[in-house]
Amino acid sequence: MIEREVLELDVLFVGAGPASLAGAVHLQRLLRESGQDASVGVLEKAGEVGAHSLSGAIVDPRALRELFPDKNDQDFPFEAEVSEEHLYYLTETRKIPFPFIPPSMNHHGCYVASLGKLTRWLGEACEKDGVDIFCGFAGTELLYDGDQVIGVRTGDRGIDKKGVQKQHFEPGADIHAKVVVLGEGTRGSLTKILLQRHNLMDERNPQVWAVGVKELWQMPAGIVQPGYVAHTMGFPLGHDIFGGAFLYGMKNDIWNLGLVVGLDYKNPGVDSHHELQNLKTHPWIRSLIEGGKMVAYGAKSLPEGGWYSIPKLSISGAMLIGDSAGFMNGQRLKGIHLAMKSGMLAAETISKALAENNFTESKLGDYEDRMKSSWIRDELWKVRNFHQGFDHGLFGGLTNAGIGLLTGGRGWGFKNRLTSEAGHLQLEKGLKKDRYKDLKFDGTYLFDKVTDVYHSATAHEEDQVPHLHVNEPDICITKCAEEYDNPCKNFCPANVFEMVPDGENQRLQINFSNCVHCKTCDIMDPYQIIDWVPPEGGDGPTWINL
Amino acid sequence: MKIAVLVKQVPGSETALPILGNHNWIDEEQVSFVMNPPDNFAIEEALLIKERTGDGEVVIVSMGPVRVQKVIREGLAKGADRGIHLEEDGQIQTDPLSIAKSISSILMDENFDLVLTGLQSDDTGMGQTGVLIGEMLGMSTGTLAMETDVQDNAIRVKRELESGWFQWVKLPLPASISIQSGLNTPRYPSLRGIMGAKKKEIKVVSPSDHQTDAISQSIDKVFVPQTSKQTEMIEGNADSAVTRIIEILKSELKVL
Amino acid sequence: MDILVVLEDNRGSLHRMSKEAIAGAQKMGGSISALAIGVNADAMAGELSGVDLTEVITINHDLVSSYNADGYSEVVKQVIESESPQTIVIGHSYQTRDFMPRVSAKLDIPFIPDIISMDDGIVKQVLNAKLNALVTTSADQVILSFQSATFSEEAMVTGSCLTRSIEVNLDSSIVRSEAEDPFQEDAGDVDLESAELIVSIGRGIEKEENISMAFDLAKVLGAEVSASRPVVDSGWVESFRQVGSSGQTVAPKLYFSLGISGAIQHVVGIKGSKNILAINKDPDAPIFEIADYAVVGDLLDIIPKLIEALQTEKDL
Repeated sequence: MIEREVLELDVLFVGAGPASLAGAVHLQRLLRESGQDASVGVLEKAGEVGAHSLSGAIVDPRALRELFPDKNDQDFPFEAEVSEEHLYYLTETRKIPFPFIPPSMNHHGCYVASLGKLTRWLGEACEKDGVDIFCGFAGTELLYDGDQVIGVRTGDRGIDKKGVQKQHFEPGADIHAKVVVLGEGTRGSLTKILLQRHNLMDERNPQVWAVGVKELWQMPAGIVQPGYVAHTMGFPLGHDIFGGAFLYGMKNDIWNLGLVVGLDYKNPGVDSHHELQNLKTHPWIRSLIEGGKMVAYGAKSLPEGGWYSIPKLSISGAMLIGDSAGFMNGQRLKGIHLAMKSGMLAAETISKALAENNFTESKLGDYEDRMKSSWIRDELWKVRNFHQGFDHGLFGGLTNAGIGLLTGGRGWGFKNRLTSEAGHLQLEKGLKKDRYKDLKFDGTYLFDKVTDVYHSATAHEEDQVPHLHVNEPDICITKCAEEYDNPCKNFCPANVFEMVPDGENQRLQINFSNCVHCKTCDIMDPYQIIDWVPPEGGDGPTWINL
Repeated sequence: MKIAVLVKQVPGSETALPILGNHNWIDEEQVSFVMNPPDNFAIEEALLIKERTGDGEVVIVSMGPVRVQKVIREGLAKGADRGIHLEEDGQIQTDPLSIAKSISSILMDENFDLVLTGLQSDDTGMGQTGVLIGEMLGMSTGTLAMETDVQDNAIRVKRELESGWFQWVKLPLPASISIQSGLNTPRYPSLRGIMGAKKKEIKVVSPSDHQTDAISQSIDKVFVPQTSKQTEMIEGNADSAVTRIIEILKSELKVL
Repeated sequence: MDILVVLEDNRGSLHRMSKEAIAGAQKMGGSISALAIGVNADAMAGELSGVDLTEVITINHDLVSSYNADGYSEVVKQVIESESPQTIVIGHSYQTRDFMPRVSAKLDIPFIPDIISMDDGIVKQVLNAKLNALVTTSADQVILSFQSATFSEEAMVTGSCLTRSIEVNLDSSIVRSEAEDPFQEDAGDVDLESAELIVSIGRGIEKEENISMAFDLAKVLGAEVSASRPVVDSGWVESFRQVGSSGQTVAPKLYFSLGISGAIQHVVGIKGSKNILAINKDPDAPIFEIADYAVVGDLLDIIPKLIEALQTEKDL
């Protein structure tokens, strides 16, 4: 019997992202106002707050203003107010401006920001408020009493690659909490378990995802205008792959360049990292990064399904907030303000629950009611069929979106709800189309995956069981190799999965140390045999301003 | 047994290092900071000594801007008792003598039995602070300790020498010892440790109370190492390649 | 005197780094005296009789017959006080780290350590050798230590010099430490970080059966064996041999890489190598950008032939 440290808390947020941190700050305020005393903790798998945070981002300041009514926008850790915005359609060589920018894609009044910076700032506010943030601890198991969640177990540390305890083995701790709030971000691992066990996705559209890959480019002084915003469609993705590029001007002469690729494409050869490199072959993009140096790389998946993919948000003892709950506005490409608001609404419910000492499903269900009568709903309802329109390609999607603007979000103008299929099911067997034959990595502007991964500053304890669990590895070398030619080696932006020669055959090699925790593999593998679980606490990227 | 562990917060090894406009250091705004990795071994050794001797106090000492309190708290979360923060404003001091004078002036009154440091810091890598402080405070000194053995009023340390040689040296207390990396396995802080660290004392010493004016050496400029590499391409068949390689090994590199 | 070079006794003879320090001092120019301390001081002076120096000062006092930090630092301090060198120069060895800072503190003279170049000012590495730093001092006297192989012992200028033995004032209370005899321990894991010659294996070795070829080459060269990550991941060599960002960092005189492509994760671990000789089939392999000698060819063909040729050389 392993002896574990047991910690009793009142409220535990899992994941120190904007949703949890905003929730914790708001909760502390509500507790103070109502004269309640409660212990609030936040669990974070990264060694530091912000190290695993990655987004574009353009932030709608709405939630921050609500959270900090005494502060001005200048007090928030933004790069700059959006100063100019562009929407382009790219061909291989040209850039064609859209005749006008639809109001919903208008970022006026919003701010270019680094999510890492914002999260660190929120983390400091939390700690000042007496919230304990436990960095370097990953939540690996939900603790139950019957069907009620009563806490989270953190991961063991010091187990070698064969699963044997090392000399400094330390068992994970059991944190008991009256409410566990899962703010794990995109495709949360505990969230995945909760959704399955309690059928929280019943009657919803399956979640659809995208992956965002980005590079930060350090330019010579004076070149980058902070607050510059451009979005593009067309090249390099074309019309059959959902997504587009973003280019934001940050402080300190940094270009923030990225590409969002929908994870519902047909061609198993699609490789988001390679698409990003291809993007940089466009003469306009290339001219912008001329003379610059790539200084950081990262990737993260995004929940694109919208309103109809949001699960049931709470059960006894547990709630879902932020990206874990799918609160993202795909059309505006913004989710941070929604994440924060969801955390704040959850806090309101929790404050009441604590006062009544009632954490049952019906009590915590108050959160969902609040959400449905909040501006989260107002915003997401209008774009509820956005992503689904793109099942018909780029122009279909744009048309649908356009019509949607006029009809308050109805799909194709009349359908209240468009259904969608899970993205990994769209992969077409036997489809082989090499999109990257002409792509050459020059090491100065275009990089191979392994070089980019180096700039993601990711590191893992080498001697541990790989945290990417492939549940039926035989499928890799037989069925998958035949039907899809092992798309994992393409869809992983970090070169984690490789098929290497093994005598006469091949075997799957998992370079887990490269993992950037984007969760694409968990999402996209066509057989759904990959389970991403957290590695040892503290492992993973050490992003600063991604 | 009163043990001071001197720790430093340094740029993380995974980060890119942008150089300041005036080239005299890196832009600290754009890097992430971590506990100097060798210092983890010193902290662990201090905690082990405290546990072995059954009593005592481990004090984490660090000099730097406000951000270094984070690494002091890390030490506290692992089990140290309190911390001392020598505050710096502006750019960090890089002159070992100045640093040692600052720290010695503060450690002096506390009469520590042991001062432990990591083998060197991952930023400037001067590798002297512990020994300088030892001399300034009249302590005996030892470096690159691969093992420690506390005795009555003395400490035996197994010094690492070059090429696989070692030597045990017995030093009377008080002593200042630098700890070789790898001699122990640093523990992880527990959740309770992290919560408890918030309540432990960190005494802040303001710059005017410790800074010395005299700077004896400084870093004027940092730059990316230039490799003026001339690569000789050796082509042809295996035999001619072998001949050329032998020549290189024998006459040019002189390794045969 | 302009420069005082402090010598180190390596079990009876002059430490290689002391000879390098002399070469460095000679390059700096000026009048140079060397200081030999301990029971082997005369022998060390003897080794320098054919070297162009003003003199070798020898000191052999009971309390410093063998090394101890207290005694050595006190002796060096006294010599500096009596001889007033402008610059004190020494090799950056483990022993130097152990006692030279004591001298620095005793005399309030700055100690600039682990220098890699004196060509254009005093340069040392910082931030894990990712950057170099130009260090300056306005002090009247300075202590400099040179990193191994910054200067070459072969570059010592020949000539002649005298020996002068001096007495020092040492009270027994000065030496507080009790040292036992040094001993050797089985290294266990190979110490790649201080290895001078390394043969390194990459994916180009192709099969596990070919690994022994690399070890044979290493044996005949007297080199250690390291490997890139994929080779370790395949289980073909032990993990402590891994070199790179998640393995060891090496700085040998010669890094002989076999079939290594030169991915950045590997290259960051070998940048300190003084010479890189790389064999790879692919003329575009990134390793060739940082190699001093680039052999484009099939290592499986070349290595057996090379081993044979080396064996022949050895027998000659």
